[in-house]
Amino acid sequence: MFHYLLSPTIILLMGSVAFAQTPPQQIDLSKFPAKSVEDVVVPVPSEIFIVLDKLGTPNWRGELPATLGDSTGNRAQVALLLGTVIADGFIAVQAQDAVKVKDIGQKVLQLADAINVRKAVIARSKSITEQADAKNWLAVRREFDGALQDVRGAMVELGDHDLAQLVSVGGWVRGTQVLTSVVSQNYSPAGAELLNQPQLLDYFIEQIDGLDNPRLKREALVVRVRKILRDLRPIIAKAESRPVSPENVKKINRMTEETVSAITSGEG
Amino acid sequence: MQILRPFIYAAIAVLPVTVMATVDDALSFAYEAATPYVKQGFSMREDAWGGDLGVKDQKAVTAQLFKGNEYWFLTGTDTRNAVVTVSVYDSNGKLVQTDAWQRGRFSGAKVVPARSGTYYAIVTVHKSPDERTRWALVYGYK
Repeated sequence: MFHYLLSPTIILLMGSVAFAQTPPQQIDLSKFPAKSVEDVVVPVPSEIFIVLDKLGTPNWRGELPATLGDSTGNRAQVALLLGTVIADGFIAVQAQDAVKVKDIGQKVLQLADAINVRKAVIARSKSITEQADAKNWLAVRREFDGALQDVRGAMVELGDHDLAQLVSVGGWVRGTQVLTSVVSQNYSPAGAELLNQPQLLDYFIEQIDGLDNPRLKREALVVRVRKILRDLRPIIAKAESRPVSPENVKKINRMTEETVSAITSGEG
Repeated sequence: MQILRPFIYAAIAVLPVTVMATVDDALSFAYEAATPYVKQGFSMREDAWGGDLGVKDQKAVTAQLFKGNEYWFLTGTDTRNAVVTVSVYDSNGKLVQTDAWQRGRFSGAKVVPARSGTYYAIVTVHKSPDERTRWALVYGYK
C-alpha cells in the first residue's frame, strides 16, 4: 500500500535547494533510448478543468449529464462507460454538486462490479460519499483519481490490459467533450490551446490499434471510438502550431458528444 | 519501468516480500517529498511511476501538461546515499523547470508550462552505493 511518511525535515530540505547535478539546458530527445521512454501519462480531467476555472467561470452544472448511461453487459462498453462516468465525477467536483458526486460514486461501483473489479473501488466509493457529504472537494477529486487508477490496476492484474486502456480512452473522450463545450461557449485562444494533445491522442490510437483481444477490437463501439480518434488526429495536430479555431472546437465537440452518446447508450 | 501499481503487483508475484517492501519505500519517499506541496494546494496524482536504474542511467516519463497549471515532479529513493534527480524538458528538448532541488533521498522540479503539450520528466541516478537503485516519481498540479 502507498503510505505517507510525514517528516518536518523535508520542509527544511526544500529551503536548502541543494542541486549539485546541474542538468543540461538542451538535450536531443531523438537520441534518448526508446526503451527508456515511458508511455504518455494520461492526465485526469481536473488537470484541464482547473485551468478552465482560471480562464473564466464555466457553468459546470450545465456540463453534468442528465443520466449516467446504462451498462449493456458488453465489457468494452462497460469499460468505456466507466471512463466517462469517472470523468463526470470530476465535473461534479467542479460543480460542487454533492448529490451528483454520490450518484457517480455509486455508479462507478456498479460498473466496476459488472467487470469484476468491484473490490478495487469499494473503499473509494465509500470515501467519495463521505467526502462529498463533508464538501471536501479536494479529497473527492483525489478519490476519483484513485478510483481510476485502482480500476485500471485491478484490470491489469486480472490480465485485462485492453479494458484498462478503454477506461482511459472513455475518460479522455468525455473530458474532451466537456473541454470543447466550455471553450465553445466563451472562445479564447488560451482555452483552445488546451487541445494541444497530439501525442496523447497518438498514444490512444496506438493502444486501440494494439488491443490484444481481436474480438474486442471488432466490437462496433470500439471500432467507432477508434475511428473518431483517427478523425480527430488531423484537427488536433494543427494545435501544435496555433490554437484550434472556434469552428474546429465546435467540430471536436460534436464528434466527441456523438461518441459519448454512443458509449452511454451502448449503441455502436 | 511502468506505472508503479502494476509494477508492485508484478513484484508480489516474483519477488520476496522484503524486496517488494523497498519498492514501496521508494514511493513513500516520493510522497514524503510531495507533502509540503500538498499543503500548498497541489493535487498529487494517485498514480506513480518507478523502477530501478543503474548509476548514470535515465528514464523519461512522458507527460501531457497544460498551460495555466503549475506542476511539481518529485522523486524518492529508498537507497541511502544515492543521488537521484528529476529534470523536465519540453518536446524540443529544452529544459523548462523553473525551480529544482535535490537533497538526500528526495528531489523535485517545478514546471509552469509556457504551452500545453508533451513534456518529459527525466529521472537520473547520478550516484549510488548499489548496482541498481530503486526510485519512484509522483507529480502534482494546481
